[in-house]
Amino acid sequence: MPAYIGDAGDSPAPVDPSRSAPGSGLRRAMAPARAAGRAGAVAALALLWLLVCGPGDSGCHLLTVADLFDRVIRHSGRIHSLSTTLYTELEKHFPPRDNELGKPARKCHTSGMLTPNGKEYAQKIPREELTHLILKLLQAWKEPLSHFNQHIEHHQELPDDSLSKAKQISNMVHELKTGVEKVTKKMQSMGIISNSLNGMASSEGTGLSISNEANMMSDSDFIHCFRRDSNKVQSYLKILKCRIMPENSC
Amino acid sequence: MDLWHLLFTLALICANDSLSTSDDLLQWPQISICRSPEMETFSCYWTDGNFYNLTAPRTIQLLYMKSIDEDWKECPDYITSGENSCYFNVSYTSIWVPYCVRLASKNQVFDQKCFSVDEIVLPDPPVHINWTLLNTSQTGIHADIQVRWDPPPTADVQKGWITLEYELQYKEVNETKWKELTPRVSTMVPLYSLKMGRDYEIRLRSRQQTSEKFGEFSEIVYVSFSQLGSECVRSEEIGFPWFLVVTFGACGLAVTVILIVLSKQPRLKMLIFPPVPVPKIKGIDPDLLKKGKLDEVNSILASHGDYKTKLYNDDLWVEFIELDIEDPDEKNRVSDTDRLLSEDHLKSHSCLGAKDDDSGRASCCEPDIPETDFSASDTCDAISDSDQFKKVTEKEEDLLCLDRKDEEESLASFANTDTQHRHMNTQSENIQLWPPFAESTDSLRPSVHPQISNQNSLTNTDFYAQVSDITPAGRVVLSPGQKSKVGRPQREGCTEQNFTIDNTYFCEADVKKCIAVTSHEEDEPHVQEQSCNEDAYFTTESLTTTGVNLGASTAETPISEMPVPDYTSIHIVHSPQGLVLNATALPVPDKEFNMSSGYVSTDQLNKIMP
Repeated sequence: MPAYIGDAGDSPAPVDPSRSAPGSGLRRAMAPARAAGRAGAVAALALLWLLVCGPGDSGCHLLTVADLFDRVIRHSGRIHSLSTTLYTELEKHFPPRDNELGKPARKCHTSGMLTPNGKEYAQKIPREELTHLILKLLQAWKEPLSHFNQHIEHHQELPDDSLSKAKQISNMVHELKTGVEKVTKKMQSMGIISNSLNGMASSEGTGLSISNEANMMSDSDFIHCFRRDSNKVQSYLKILKCRIMPENSC
Repeated sequence: MDLWHLLFTLALICANDSLSTSDDLLQWPQISICRSPEMETFSCYWTDGNFYNLTAPRTIQLLYMKSIDEDWKECPDYITSGENSCYFNVSYTSIWVPYCVRLASKNQVFDQKCFSVDEIVLPDPPVHINWTLLNTSQTGIHADIQVRWDPPPTADVQKGWITLEYELQYKEVNETKWKELTPRVSTMVPLYSLKMGRDYEIRLRSRQQTSEKFGEFSEIVYVSFSQLGSECVRSEEIGFPWFLVVTFGACGLAVTVILIVLSKQPRLKMLIFPPVPVPKIKGIDPDLLKKGKLDEVNSILASHGDYKTKLYNDDLWVEFIELDIEDPDEKNRVSDTDRLLSEDHLKSHSCLGAKDDDSGRASCCEPDIPETDFSASDTCDAISDSDQFKKVTEKEEDLLCLDRKDEEESLASFANTDTQHRHMNTQSENIQLWPPFAESTDSLRPSVHPQISNQNSLTNTDFYAQVSDITPAGRVVLSPGQKSKVGRPQREGCTEQNFTIDNTYFCEADVKKCIAVTSHEEDEPHVQEQSCNEDAYFTTESLTTTGVNLGASTAETPISEMPVPDYTSIHIVHSPQGLVLNATALPVPDKEFNMSSGYVSTDQLNKIMP
């Protein structure tokens, strides 16, 4: 198997969690070259999954878990940048929310999910649960994003760039979910985490109900919620990576 | 009404201004900013306004509401972040949770803001900024430095909870505008090409990677090279004096050009502005070509070797004719003279129809010039090459075969020849009188048998022969005209001609005579005529080709008698050599014939002839 897959969007980062995911700045996200980088990253990520060693292959050390995590984190960072850009674009077209005196009315369909809202909590919960949460979040957004894509196409006032971004986001989320699943499998194969992913089945069930709620949101709220959740996913992945590496004092 | 409106608005503006500047009026407290340096805690800052003076001190409260379902709570910490601030520590902070903060006093709400902590991350500036010298340029003017720093201590970059980007700005001390580098994640960056004689200032700031807002700037770090003890400090960079070089160069060039143009020396002018070469032939003066005579031109051109003077000059021809006429010393050539005189009419007859388009041909057939009966010899106008004379061999027969006294015997043949000749003359306009006898027939030698008693029936006789060659001794080798010499086969007569020369010109009649030998073939004369009519001047090749045919034909044919021309006129105009028709085979050195003109004048001929 090839030893290395070059990531088109970013330079390969060393095993240093402090320097991971160097690619999700908003300024860079808005550069037109980023789209190409993202496409390349998506392609690289796609290739990544092909070359991840199988569960029974213990001698496959070509692609370490740290490398996999780096790529996944970079991918999630790009998703977050893209969603932030899309959010700012949508804010121009939709009336801005009056948050001066009124209560924050934004309620995301994923608000009901119990997720660690701080670094300490993220450090405390078991790695398996953290992994599970990540997958759950990604699953929760999979279908609402596809609905959102269909819905937003009818908006004539939106520029084509926004529409393409929305489509790109849904693709990337799907890619990221696949990537996290692969990483999970690798971790399980290497014994880093246990094979107990009991909650996955339940998450599938709750995912359907959640997505029904998502359809009720407005477009602006939808993107705002997604932006927040993409940041959540990125942070969880970072913490998870840190926690997996034994040398780091996470 | 408009004027009143205008005055009213102006009054309002003035009142507003006065209100804003007045201390009596209330200024509402406002929340200036809420920021989180590391995405674990956050603080909110507000401004007091004038409220403090008017009402009871410090009744302003900051209320916050975490998420939507909870109530408003008061700020847990007013002190840690400073005055007019509220600090929320880790326990109070939840990321990704919407917050609302409200600045209120009792029941009066002054300001409110809603946000989530992950949106308000503004990291602290980096710390421990220092620089080290990388290298200096060879001139000692520039230097490269490496700047390093540490991430802000509050941000937990190690665990990856937050990823920071850093932006470095630097400038010279006395400048006003900062130069910015692109934000980067690494905590070190090189600065290139800093001038060693100047001091620089560096400052840094950081931001979260996914956001656009930067945090505060760090402290300014000064970069000074003087502490390194560089002795090559130059305040001003000495650039190449391009301006001076260009100016002086232009002036020098202008002066040089003016001098050259104004100088009278043609040599210098030739050197700088050489003349364009025009085509030129060595040894030939273009002016001569313009106004010189053709003969002179021919002489010049012939001296170049390969030239075949195909030009035919009327003047030459006329002169040539004159030569024959005015030759009084031909007494020795009694036979010739007799023949000439006796066969005047014959010649004139034979000249009938020998009108030619080529220059000189017609003249040769003028009746008033009986001697020069070149009717059939129109083609004899061809000017032979100098090689012709060079190649005259010793084996030539007598000149013009005039030594033969077999006129009687050749009378019949001569008549025949003449008939044929006339036939040929009348038929063809451009009679090529030099049907070529090829060199292949080496044995062919010109043998012109004089026609003796052919006054009577010499109407058909052409009493001239073509000179085919000139021996070095000065003899002229004639083309074979006589075939009916006594004891001499016709073939021999034809073959006696010396065809070893390059340019061999033969009278049509001569060829005919040879051809007549092969009378069984009627095509040959016709062919010969054709070949003779091809061109006024034969070249060696044409001579060769046709001569081959003739030679072949003559080889087989039996001998039949043909009349032989009486005399030979000099047709060959060869410059610088001349042609002398020497019937008595007087040896004449060739050199005497090297004249500028292509013909032998009468005087020269008189000298030569005995």
